[in-house]
Amino acid sequence: MIRLENIEKVYRTDTVETLAVNGISLDIARGEFLSIMGPSGCGKSTLLNIIGLLDSPSKGVVNIDDKDISGFSDQQLAGFRNHTLGFIFQSYHLINDLQVLDNVELPLLYRQASAKERRELAQEALGKVGLHNRMKHFPSQLSGGQRQRVAIARAIVGKPKIILADEPTGNLDSAMGNGIMDILIHLNKNDGTTIVMVTHDEQMAHKTHRLVRLFDGSQVL
Amino acid sequence: MLKNYFKIAIAVLKRRKFFTFISLFGISFTLTILMLTTAFIDKMLSPDYPDFKRNRSLYVSKVERLNTKEGWFNGGSASYYLLDHYVSNMKIPEKIGIYTFSDPVNSFVNDKKIVLELKYTNADYWEIAEYNFIEGKPYRKGQLEASELVAVISEYTKKQYFGDVPSVAGKYIEVDNIRYRVIGVVANIPRTQRHFYGDIYLPYTLSKADYKKVEPMGNFGAVLLARSADELPAMKKEYEQLISKVPTMDEGYDKMYSNADTILEGITRNIFGSGNDSGMAKSMSFVTAVMLLFMLLPAINLININMTRIMERSSEIGVRKAFGASSKTLVYQFVVENVILTLIGGLIALLMSLLGIYIFNESDMLPGLYLEINVRVLLMGVAVCLFFGLLSGVYPAWRMSRVPVVQALKAQ
Amino acid sequence: MYKHLFRLIWNKRKQNFLFLSEILVSFLVIFALSSFLVFYFMNFRKPLGFKYQHVWAVSYSEPLKTKNLDSIRTFYDLLNATLMSMPEIEAHSLSSGNFPYANSVSTSGFTVKGKNYSYIHNYTVEDSYLQTLDLKLLEGRWYRPEDAISKNRNVVINESLRKQIFGSAPALNQVMGDSKKENEKMKIIGVVKDVKANGDYWPSGSAIYYRMDSSSYTWVGTMLIKIRPGTGAAFENKLHKVLAQHMKNSNIEIKHMDEMRSSKNADTIVPMTIFVIIAAFLIINVALGLFGVLWYNINRRKGEIGLRRAMGATANSITRQLVAESSIMATISVLTGTFFAIQFPLLHVFDINPMVYVFALLITIAFIYLLVVLCSIYPGRQAASIHPAVALHED
Repeated sequence: MIRLENIEKVYRTDTVETLAVNGISLDIARGEFLSIMGPSGCGKSTLLNIIGLLDSPSKGVVNIDDKDISGFSDQQLAGFRNHTLGFIFQSYHLINDLQVLDNVELPLLYRQASAKERRELAQEALGKVGLHNRMKHFPSQLSGGQRQRVAIARAIVGKPKIILADEPTGNLDSAMGNGIMDILIHLNKNDGTTIVMVTHDEQMAHKTHRLVRLFDGSQVL
Repeated sequence: MLKNYFKIAIAVLKRRKFFTFISLFGISFTLTILMLTTAFIDKMLSPDYPDFKRNRSLYVSKVERLNTKEGWFNGGSASYYLLDHYVSNMKIPEKIGIYTFSDPVNSFVNDKKIVLELKYTNADYWEIAEYNFIEGKPYRKGQLEASELVAVISEYTKKQYFGDVPSVAGKYIEVDNIRYRVIGVVANIPRTQRHFYGDIYLPYTLSKADYKKVEPMGNFGAVLLARSADELPAMKKEYEQLISKVPTMDEGYDKMYSNADTILEGITRNIFGSGNDSGMAKSMSFVTAVMLLFMLLPAINLININMTRIMERSSEIGVRKAFGASSKTLVYQFVVENVILTLIGGLIALLMSLLGIYIFNESDMLPGLYLEINVRVLLMGVAVCLFFGLLSGVYPAWRMSRVPVVQALKAQ
Repeated sequence: MYKHLFRLIWNKRKQNFLFLSEILVSFLVIFALSSFLVFYFMNFRKPLGFKYQHVWAVSYSEPLKTKNLDSIRTFYDLLNATLMSMPEIEAHSLSSGNFPYANSVSTSGFTVKGKNYSYIHNYTVEDSYLQTLDLKLLEGRWYRPEDAISKNRNVVINESLRKQIFGSAPALNQVMGDSKKENEKMKIIGVVKDVKANGDYWPSGSAIYYRMDSSSYTWVGTMLIKIRPGTGAAFENKLHKVLAQHMKNSNIEIKHMDEMRSSKNADTIVPMTIFVIIAAFLIINVALGLFGVLWYNINRRKGEIGLRRAMGATANSITRQLVAESSIMATISVLTGTFFAIQFPLLHVFDINPMVYVFALLITIAFIYLLVVLCSIYPGRQAASIHPAVALHED
């Protein structure tokens, strides 16, 4: 499903070059739930961004869903992200000016879908995360766990093949975190969604199929 | 999609109320000024009382003589002789109104001085201009030829000279020691109607000056009325050919210019015109330049505020990009948002313009001139609104759409 | 410290481009506005140079249909005698159409010692003009009847023209003009104080007064009449009647010079007021915008400010630093604006006293700094008043 070959990522400033990711190759199978761990600054978020096509590698090949995306234009990348990928962030990144339902509908705005269709799909996604009674709320009226569940609903509403989660439980207490984790595991099992998750939390990581450890930009396990 | 944009635009506007206030203040103020100016210009240019036939009229108001060798130059209004002896032979005009541009004279009532703008006209003038006669009627050709001492006065004159009386037809008004019989009273004309403004109208045969003098320049103007608007270009051409055959009537000059102009051309010729060039192109570029210059500061201000506003929403930008919005889509979204903002500003500007026009009309700053917001002014307002919205929205949106997703998601 | 801040801002000039250009455009707007205001104010402070009170201007059109000089002369002699016989009239003089406050301008040029002087206002007047308008004679004398038969053409000039041509050298009895004929050369017999003929807010300009001879009677159409103070309103009607009887072929209008002055001044004041109001709105607009942007930017730096506070900076020193930063930003625009502004006096774009630009520039610079300081002082204080712990926590 996801194949990385010899990925390198160099950040250049005027004087220093920082090697954030150093020659990582990774194969992630369809339906796999993979977690990436490592101390801060080890390059795990950069790696996730590269998988998510939010950032491009300095070197190496990224192959997602059997497509080499290196020659893609901005338009093509946008379309590809929209259909194939779903994102979950540590700090939720919900749009505070929009109600929950509108937030969840967001990915559908960028494809052909009628208002009615969007509404139905968003309601269905919110049902999956157990928030069908919070649709008219604004993000600021929700708890952290609820917000992250909205973010998950937003990530799955477009039925992507892959979900990328960047420390989804990082801002939550353990009870809420476990709740989020259960949803992700459920998604992986029932819908067969491939999930790549960056985490700090050993306990969470052990619930996944495979664990990859990074240190200073290289894979150590 | 648009509904979604609209929702978010309103939400953003509500969130930073101070910025919204600044933006709306700038937009609505700028638009109000532009709309009031447009309303004024529109009033000046479009057919209006008493000049309702403007669409098929051309006006002669300027004659110039030139000595091309020495560069001497001599200009002024047309003479009666030129208009009567040459222009009246034109084929295309249905009617030709001849008149003097008004001159102030004094009249006294009980030792109180009244300043009246005096205008001499011919009889056809009254058939071209559609004055609203409150009482009586204009003088006819016969009265004119007989040099009858008759006058048409304005309501203003009636009130000043006779006071509040129901009817003054048949009464006498004394101007410069001569008593004229009032045969008609017309509703007031605004001073901006340069060709038609007057407080007292007399047959040109009563003119004290020697109007029959053989020379091209004098104190007269003319309105040439065509049968339809389509005939205007042909009529213009006929006038031009006619003038080219008129002698300069003075050895000192070898060239003569005069043009039959529309109202707008008449104005631009006065400011930027020279020779046969009506100065239209220059005037238009000048007006556009002034307008753009005036809009420059509010536009920069708006761009500045928009930049600040958009940067504040980097998280939203990052999320939208992550979930499949292309840069183009994002630019489109923010421009639409900005246009919504400017349209709200336009709405406020409309209300403020209506208020401004109400105050202007009530204050009688220019007596007889009543401004109004019509479709043309409204369209102009909408056009400026859109222009403003695009101008101030595109650059910040473009800058913002180029911010890398990772960076947009990080900055909080 | 300031050099450091300056470099910081210069390096960030791309990000600050909009801010800078906004201040620059405001600078130019205020400079234009203050140039006008200073120009008007400097002229306003100059003395009027004549008395408009109780002066009436009578305009009439071609009183006679003849070009015969003798009959015209007879006509004016008769008119003259009639007016002299009226006790209400103190003095009267015929004048060319460009008398004070009239919307008429007549200029000409001539050469003096090879140098060309143009745009000189020329006023054609009678001997009694001095008394009618109460002009102030500074040097020499005014016209006398015997000037009609002098060798050269005797002329009176005003202070400005005197200064323009002769500087501080003597001007009296100097001969001007390059005509070969003796009787066309102009000999200066007197200098009068400048007359602000275009209203209180405009300079008099350089002017030359020509003595009216009877050949001018064919075209002259204005008479200035000084009325004795305390004359009743009825006299105007009487005068009008008398004049109308004399000039049966004319349309006659009597204007009061004090009213003409008001309307002439209004010609300056009204557009200026509109300009000031529009500029004020533009500036308020800009001020609000600057305030908003600065406020936002300063608020974003709460972390940095908290850190500085934690390290011992006082609230005042924080405010000072933030105000200094925006002032330095403004300096870049002010310098650019000044560069453009000084082109006006350097290139002599308009023929105006350069001091106008100097004062206008100073006012503009002061105003811009005031604007920027006022717009940044409040957000600066707001940020500085935050408790360090809170500020650090938010980051």
